[in-house]
Amino acid sequence: MTLEHYLALSAILFAIGLFGVLTRRNIIGILMSVELMLNAANINFAAFNRFLHFDAAVGNTSVIFIITLAAAEVVVGLALVMAIYKNLHTVYVEKYNILKG
Amino acid sequence: MIEQITFGMLASVVILAALGVVLMRKVMHSALCLGLCLAGVAGIFASLGSDFIFGAQILVYVGGIAVLILFVVLLAGQASDLVVRQINEQWLAAVLICMIFLWSFAKIAVQFAGARALTDPAPTTKAIAGLLLGDYAVPFEMTSLILLVSMVGAVIFGRRKVS
Repeated sequence: MTLEHYLALSAILFAIGLFGVLTRRNIIGILMSVELMLNAANINFAAFNRFLHFDAAVGNTSVIFIITLAAAEVVVGLALVMAIYKNLHTVYVEKYNILKG
Repeated sequence: MIEQITFGMLASVVILAALGVVLMRKVMHSALCLGLCLAGVAGIFASLGSDFIFGAQILVYVGGIAVLILFVVLLAGQASDLVVRQINEQWLAAVLICMIFLWSFAKIAVQFAGARALTDPAPTTKAIAGLLLGDYAVPFEMTSLILLVSMVGAVIFGRRKVS
């Protein structure tokens, strides 16, 4: 397998995630699509590490950081979603128009 | 040969599950597809020889994030979600934007055409540990700060209002 196979897979995954972020009405669906985009970036890091810089593990280390930050992001995001849902009783983003406090 | 077969199977699982995440009408099915897609990405990591992030992906993403999203899907839903439209009316513009992104990614990817792996996959855990406690020590410690802040934030946002 060559590098461009992995790059193509990552690009397709990123485009699918971007489509989800742009079109989903459900806030949880948007969060899931963001996770897809983060995973596409992770595939790129690991692939470049394997094919171009195989003597060091810098790409793998960056993936570790991204995974940790994604976990933190999804925890805070889902806590915010639950807080908003308790107030507005909806998960659809076009109803979220009174977020001023 | 077996490498191509493995990559094809993993890539088809990843892409089909990702399409399921985006296009499924029921959010529950989307969340289950997300778990499948993340597991497929873990397989891609394994095929790239990155053994440590393969394990981390399974532990954190499949075991943690997908399950957490499933919990929230079960908590924040209404019966009317099963019948209403889940995609907004701008999907045509979104397809266009995604095509532009794919085109630009293809322009970048052709510059790396034909790059082959020169070495056999080797265990990466020792090298990652050396980097985390060496060159990346300060970001590594900052990560613990971020985890603490996000934990406090989640508790504050998630507590019940006392009125």
